[in-house]
Amino acid sequence: MKKPLIIGWLYPELMATYGDRGNILILAGRLKRRNIPVHVLPINMSSTAEDLKSCNLIVGGGAQDRQQSIVITDLRARFKDILADMFDRGIPGLFVCGSPQLLGHWYMNGDGNMLQGLGIFDLTTKHFGKNKPRLIGNTVGKISTDFQLAGLEWKDTIVGFENHGGRTYLGPECQSFATVVRGNGNNGEDRTEGAKYKNCIATYYHGPFLSKNPHIADWLLVKAYEVKTGHVLKLKPLHDTYEWKAHNYILQRLKI
Amino acid sequence: MKYGFAFFISFVISYVSKIFHLGAGATWPGEIALRIDPDFLTHSAKYIKKGVIFIVGTNGKTTTSRMIGKILRDNGYKVLTNESGANLINGIASSFITNPLVLFNKTDFAVFEVDENFLPKAVTVLHPSHIVILNLFRDQLDRYGEVDSIVEAWITSFLNNATTTHYILNADDPAIAFIGKKIHKSKIFFGLDEPSYYIKQMEYATDSTYCPNCGTKLTYGGSYFSHLGKWACGSCDFTHPNVSFSAKDVVSCIPGVYNIYNSLAATALADCLGIQKEIIHDSLSKITPAFGRYEKIIFKGKEIRLVLSKNPTGMNESIRTILDQKKSGPIIFALNDRIPDGRDVSWIWDVDFEQINQSSNHIITTGDRTYDLAIRIEYALVSDDSKQKRLEPIVDTELAIQTAISTMQPTDTCFILATYSAMLDIRKIITGKKIL
Repeated sequence: MKKPLIIGWLYPELMATYGDRGNILILAGRLKRRNIPVHVLPINMSSTAEDLKSCNLIVGGGAQDRQQSIVITDLRARFKDILADMFDRGIPGLFVCGSPQLLGHWYMNGDGNMLQGLGIFDLTTKHFGKNKPRLIGNTVGKISTDFQLAGLEWKDTIVGFENHGGRTYLGPECQSFATVVRGNGNNGEDRTEGAKYKNCIATYYHGPFLSKNPHIADWLLVKAYEVKTGHVLKLKPLHDTYEWKAHNYILQRLKI
Repeated sequence: MKYGFAFFISFVISYVSKIFHLGAGATWPGEIALRIDPDFLTHSAKYIKKGVIFIVGTNGKTTTSRMIGKILRDNGYKVLTNESGANLINGIASSFITNPLVLFNKTDFAVFEVDENFLPKAVTVLHPSHIVILNLFRDQLDRYGEVDSIVEAWITSFLNNATTTHYILNADDPAIAFIGKKIHKSKIFFGLDEPSYYIKQMEYATDSTYCPNCGTKLTYGGSYFSHLGKWACGSCDFTHPNVSFSAKDVVSCIPGVYNIYNSLAATALADCLGIQKEIIHDSLSKITPAFGRYEKIIFKGKEIRLVLSKNPTGMNESIRTILDQKKSGPIIFALNDRIPDGRDVSWIWDVDFEQINQSSNHIITTGDRTYDLAIRIEYALVSDDSKQKRLEPIVDTELAIQTAISTMQPTDTCFILATYSAMLDIRKIITGKKIL
């Protein structure tokens, strides 16, 4: 029996605002459908450093302000260096919704309070309070061919829904995850969407991002397996008919 | 003077439009009146003799308002309501306009369901005598912000409000109980207090499992659904309030634990007004579901039940209730993403569609987001091929209903679980009109 691929789910009770668990169900479901053993390990207040180090893929969701500050305090105290080292080694991560804020240098919330981040990504985030409207709506981005996998269906677009008050600005060291085609992206100004560091993705796309982006789901799984075993995994294609129809529906609706 | 003019103009326009069938007019006569007289609601409220009653909460507003309206009417009172679910400022203003007898001081009570976000404003302009608070779940976050900030806004509003208002509060919802703790005003609590309704496992779509007072994780002696239950905080002095009304005090003839809560809230309110227990029971035992709330419709000789399901907790409860009926027949899930539904459909991933594995009903998804829903249900279904065949996405809602109907045996029931605008579309298809 092969050892299962371990998906570390960051603070599921604190960071799962809006359908975020979809990404976990999808990643685990896509492995199960291919008969690859998988284990989902919640990482929370009672987890140890060893628990975190055992993970092959890290997933984080969004949080309300109060919960986010609990999470960040715990992460900074116990897991900051471990996570930074894991992402340095190429272990993939997916952070949706508010979590780009968590991974950057700092986040200034709507009341003007400064929250220190993990500093893994060279980015900063500022919430302008009531002075600037929230960035809300369906959105489309263009991704690079880095995400293309041999033998699997692929598109150079990602689709989803964004809903954020904070505006993120990438530093010179930071690569974006995608280029905005429709919607606002990081800040509504520079057409960048999210951030990418090695195999770790942070995005403002909301909730179950992977549901309409099966190519990104498989890319994360392939990278996780690669770092875990040193071998490239050839994934069997799945019947993603509904996934691509839902993806194309958004493209069509936003007239792309 | 301005008030009278506003009332007159908007009344005439809505009356004329009704004659010429220009629309149901649930909201726009109010819109016109408010343009002419911004204080239209405050002026109108003065004509209500005994009191203005608000029903608020994420789920159950329409049914509870309907129950309270019926109890009061059965008791001989003249009652004004906004029963069509138009619960924003213009909808409430319209309910005055379409009932002009209000102006002759004939109305005893106004019973309004009020939108979560509009509540603080509604309190300042309408000066309610009673506020019934049912529950708070995540619903349409893109429109409302988060549960925490709603609680905060409500508490501020209630602290600034007159001391004469009575609050009828759900003790089983920690966030609502917390509002009760903060406001120190005239209040009574209701709660199920009935362990036989506990669910075996906490549902995923659970919001306030942390103590609103100190932030510690709450423990549950049992949960009825979502975060509603016999909660306790181990580390501060915030406790589950004692309830004046519990499940044993009510009758409910509409299925679902939800409706026990709704009956309970209606009973507590009616008792507050001094109405006799027998009359309350009698009224509640004769209540029929509000439109789209487990509503029965016969279409081409087949039984359809329409169940509005607009957020994770509501959808979980709807699925649980229909599966409990153990009926054979197709189940249609209809998901739209228009303004009344919430434009973000992420919430479907918080729904425990996995419950469907207990049954073998054929499943059809439809609506604007047919495929989003199909993906979610595909991942929920236990993956063996025979079960995958149960799922059929059909974008065209009319075709979806026809397909469902064509497979039905005479004794089957077709359950349709739909978001708000999807429900209106479906009503249009099967009854020819959008609302009642």
